[in-house]
Amino acid sequence: MKKATAILAVLLLLSATVVFAGGQKGAAGAPVVVKTMAYGDQSNPEGVNWLRIVDAFEKANPNIDIDFELLYDEAYHQKVVARLAAGDVPDMAYMGADARWGLPWQEAGQQFDHRPYLDPNYYDLKLIPDMGPNGEIYEIPLGTSNITTVLYMNEKLTKSFGFSAPKTYQDILAMVPKAKAQGLDVVSIDGADGWAWGSCLMSGVIARISGDAHWVSKAVAGQRKFTDKEFVDSLALLEGMVKDGVINSKSVLVDYGANLSNYSNQKALFMVQGQWIAGSIENPEVANNTLMMAFPKLPGEKAATAGSVAAAIQVGYGLTKTGGSDPAVRDAALKYIQVFYSHEETTQRLRDGAIVAPILKNFKVPDDLPRLVKQKVGLAQAAMNTDVIDAFLSGAPNDVLNAGMQKIVSGQATAKEIAAEVESLLRK
Amino acid sequence: MIRRDTKALITYFGFVFPGLAIYLFIVTYPVFYSAWLSITDFNPNRGGAWSFVGLLQFRTMFEDPYFWHALKNNMIVVAVSVFGQIPIGFVLAYILFRRLVRAGSFYQAMVFFPHFLSTIVIGTMWKRLFQADGPVARLIQILSGDPSAQFDLMLRENTVMYPVGFALIWMYTGLYMIIFLANLQKIDTNMIEAAKIDGAREAQIFFRVIVPLLSGTILVSTTLAIAGSLRGFDLIFSMTTQGLQRMNAEVLPIFMYRTAFQDYRNEMRFAYGAAISNIIVVISVALILLSNYIGRKLKAGEEY
Repeated sequence: MKKATAILAVLLLLSATVVFAGGQKGAAGAPVVVKTMAYGDQSNPEGVNWLRIVDAFEKANPNIDIDFELLYDEAYHQKVVARLAAGDVPDMAYMGADARWGLPWQEAGQQFDHRPYLDPNYYDLKLIPDMGPNGEIYEIPLGTSNITTVLYMNEKLTKSFGFSAPKTYQDILAMVPKAKAQGLDVVSIDGADGWAWGSCLMSGVIARISGDAHWVSKAVAGQRKFTDKEFVDSLALLEGMVKDGVINSKSVLVDYGANLSNYSNQKALFMVQGQWIAGSIENPEVANNTLMMAFPKLPGEKAATAGSVAAAIQVGYGLTKTGGSDPAVRDAALKYIQVFYSHEETTQRLRDGAIVAPILKNFKVPDDLPRLVKQKVGLAQAAMNTDVIDAFLSGAPNDVLNAGMQKIVSGQATAKEIAAEVESLLRK
Repeated sequence: MIRRDTKALITYFGFVFPGLAIYLFIVTYPVFYSAWLSITDFNPNRGGAWSFVGLLQFRTMFEDPYFWHALKNNMIVVAVSVFGQIPIGFVLAYILFRRLVRAGSFYQAMVFFPHFLSTIVIGTMWKRLFQADGPVARLIQILSGDPSAQFDLMLRENTVMYPVGFALIWMYTGLYMIIFLANLQKIDTNMIEAAKIDGAREAQIFFRVIVPLLSGTILVSTTLAIAGSLRGFDLIFSMTTQGLQRMNAEVLPIFMYRTAFQDYRNEMRFAYGAAISNIIVVISVALILLSNYIGRKLKAGEEY
């Protein structure tokens, strides 16, 4: 018995020594760990740049460990929900402030106001929009507004048919017979992805037809109805575009990659997508001959929103409430964010076509930027910004609207039916 | 004697406890947690407060047309699995077992091949095959002589499950073929030889000798197919694009995911999602019990 007690005592002593030693080490020399949810994958510029920046940062700051999980697209959104629900809250994350990118953080009470910590000499605070009711800044946007409704035009190809940049919908309509005769699409869209109809087309159309830049947010707030004439007419216009041959009926079977590939391989004169895709046009001949523009004048559009584009607050990295509550973690994360948003990295992002324009103070736009990037900046400066649908509408009503637009253009439902279904689901 | 039994009991529990503890923690606890969650309005993102709401989530679910749509699709998947994958797998296994084709190993490898691939890879492959002007559309264009023809079954609610069912058969038939082949190889060949001597034809051997001998395997395969079909998510999710295609082909696990993970407007979405997942389990158990009942009635699994 005595022997067993002695062995137990020795074991306890040893364990205590190990634990105590570990604790001392942690207090003295262990790095500050910043648990992070990053956005990208191993093959896209976002992911590749993230890995490179973290690697360089950790080498320069051995006392900080950016402990990240890198996910992209659906997997990212799914993991955000799962981690927040499980209480495994990261300290820093890629996030937004709208219905798609901001709601999970808002619901979990994890939005953190960065205003007291942003250096006004480093960030141009005028370029960062209000994200909360009192002007809070919940994340640092990668750039200024994120334009979602851009019409990309292959200028050389269009000119070869004897046409120039369209000023009205009728101008595009006039191109249909010649393009069709050559087996080309006029406007290519990734219509197999429901969100593309909403974010990249309908968001622009509803603002133009209603003449109200904020029609969508007002409708979600109950000041307008999705069954109102302007919305039904906007949906019907999509159907008209397909019937007119401006958009090919088979577009409903074309996904994001195929759309980009069709445009890059000169199978279409125009492409509808967001500003972010500009850097992904891989055929240099097409990229160098592309014009980025707002939709031309649509039938029935109002003068108040003429030439407008739909745009959302750009997403970016920010601290969560959990991360912000620990001064050591907060300082480490802000230090990393400053490096991530450095002039060099921001310039690279600008060159890659990932952002429209930087939000840094005294940022000098390089003279040798690619043509497309310059156009993008020009478009952002010139065009009025209007609401993006899924920045305000989420869940089942948004799902039904996206699928509904696909039904309308494939002749399975009418504009009125889809509008009524969305309205009914939203008010439920 | 008693002392020895106690010692044996302690040893027994010593061996069983680690596995049992892991099982209770990983399987049993989530099952009970999910059952509890489905009768509350608990949302972990809103702190620890919750209320007992009774069967509210289930009532909401039964009134939701998207639930019935997903359930219908799930039943189609079950039917495809039970009446498609299993019979085809059985017949293919029999053909290989009876050496009715040359190069049997090659065919065996080919049919089983999809099992070596990630489901996401398979889903993406089928998505590419079905896209605008993709290989399937090209084939239709050649056969019909219409250069604008497209494969649009994925766009329609009443036809979407044909291509989905085809992909499911392509992917999972190999698994059942291997299960049947392994069990066929255990059969005493003397029984087949005796049947042949008695003048039985190939079809008679199959239906009168092989099928009864493998009825137990059919029953086990049916159970596997039902359980797998009801929790199937990855293939359908990856072979459809976001929007109309995925809504058309929505099955209960995808409906549950869309509700619990994406419908931020519903504050009770986690509880609602739990109710959907519980119903998946209930339907799964009911179908398995039904197949076991039918199996017993048909005297499946009896020794010969």
